Amino acid sequence: MTLEQLLADTKPVLLDIQQRDLAEIEQAKDWQAKYRVLMQLGKKLPAIPEKMKQPELLVKGCESRAWLMHYHDKATDKHYFVLDSEARIVKGLMAIMLCLVNGMTTAELCQFDLCHKFDQLNLKPYLSQSRGNGLTAMASRIKQCCK
Amino acid sequence: MPAFDVQQFRQQFAFFQQQPEWVYLDNAATMHKPLVVIDAVTQFYQQYNSNVHRGAHQLSQQATILFEQARSTVASYINARHLHEVIFCSGATAALNQIAFGLMHTVLQPGDRILLTQLEHHANIVPWQLHCQRHGVIIDVVPLTADHRIDLVAYEQLLALGPKVVSFSHISNVLGHIQPVAEMVRLAKAAGALTVIDGAQGIVYQQPDMQQLDCDFYVFSGHKLYGPTGIGVLYGKTEQLKHLTPIFAGGEMIDSVSFINTSFNKLPFRLEAGTPNIAGALGLSAAIEWLQKYNNEQLVLHKSLLLKEFYNGLTFIKGIDILSSSVHNAGIVALNVDSEHPADVAELLNQQQIAVRSGQHCAMPLFSYLARPGAIRCSFAAYNTLDDVNRCLLALEQTVEILTA
Repeated sequence: MTLEQLLADTKPVLLDIQQRDLAEIEQAKDWQAKYRVLMQLGKKLPAIPEKMKQPELLVKGCESRAWLMHYHDKATDKHYFVLDSEARIVKGLMAIMLCLVNGMTTAELCQFDLCHKFDQLNLKPYLSQSRGNGLTAMASRIKQCCK
Repeated sequence: MPAFDVQQFRQQFAFFQQQPEWVYLDNAATMHKPLVVIDAVTQFYQQYNSNVHRGAHQLSQQATILFEQARSTVASYINARHLHEVIFCSGATAALNQIAFGLMHTVLQPGDRILLTQLEHHANIVPWQLHCQRHGVIIDVVPLTADHRIDLVAYEQLLALGPKVVSFSHISNVLGHIQPVAEMVRLAKAAGALTVIDGAQGIVYQQPDMQQLDCDFYVFSGHKLYGPTGIGVLYGKTEQLKHLTPIFAGGEMIDSVSFINTSFNKLPFRLEAGTPNIAGALGLSAAIEWLQKYNNEQLVLHKSLLLKEFYNGLTFIKGIDILSSSVHNAGIVALNVDSEHPADVAELLNQQQIAVRSGQHCAMPLFSYLARPGAIRCSFAAYNTLDDVNRCLLALEQTVEILTA
């Protein structure tokens, strides 16, 4: 497995999440329904092979371990991401985060207000500082990618 | 004595009236405080607020009397021989740091050994690394038996290496297992080692008797005994407290200061630098006085009934991996849902307003030994009800259902 392959496998999944699952989460009638979708998201994403999970990819600040791989296509100035996490709900939430920013240009990524978007999706509580789920850490790691 | 009335007990905690929808099973992290404790803290600030031991005015003298009465309440609760054997500090972590720092170069010299156990909280590991191992002290670790208890055979073998200090927890903060502390103290003393007991979880389970237990040090935090945060106790025998070099200096702990030489005040003040947490001490004292109105055996019995019901209910839920034994358990159950990450389990319980802790509970060496990424921890207190137990079981069932769908 190479980063290229992972990116190729991840890209359509993130697109699918953005086009289909986000609406489903927004419309979920109860928390159970919302969480069922979130867990499906985690399943859809291809896993990062153990060998590729290098320590520098680890996103610190999570109770569960999460890894983020980033690829900047210099020719088009677009940013692409690959994600994995030990915890399924966290992985689902992180996948939502990624689908919002995947394929953005550097300028777009810099300007993007993740908090605002999460608020719109009724997911803002997951971003709070007091939570050890690592979403905040993941958000700042994503933001660093445009620097 | 009348039977224990959990509703009457619970009513004294304003928290449960404020947050009736929550099931609070994170008591090993911190407990709720009865109104008498909150009142004692408020009353101090409203009526008596003054600094202690600086008696230029009557208010300060009054505050000093209250503060010293609090020390006396704690001392008689744990049956210390002398009032000065009760040192107020910010909590068990601070106390363990003081002991580890304080024994280095007095009792402990480079090349000496100390003995810890595999199931210690980081607060009973890292201070020894930071203050002693770094100066050449060797740390040995007692392994666990197959049922995750301290291996007493190995313990005796390691004692034969001649450690100067042995430090272990009264009750495992992850598993809830009650350690045979009396036996462990006896063996350590026979081997000539000083004994330190981390009573963070033990203090609420059992009123410890220092003269009977005969350990050299026992530490605990007030907030795990219905008291405020930021107050704790370092108990030490007089002769051993004398060995402790103060970790903090300044303020009241000084006798005289010059740039040539500083001499220290007598115990307990020598180990209480700076303005102490006066309101916290008063709150802790109020908690102890209040708790003594109840028969502790009844509280323990109530908790064991909750635990029994919980264990019984768990057998009906598929795919639960229980790490804690129900035998000799103080009221803590660590568990996992098979092949699921504890963070997911805790999140789904949180959605159902069940407060538990998840992760490695500041005991990473224990989890590497258990070969688990962590666990969720349900910890029960005497104010928990059978309804709490049943709601937690239902929520766990729902959690498993969602995770395995």
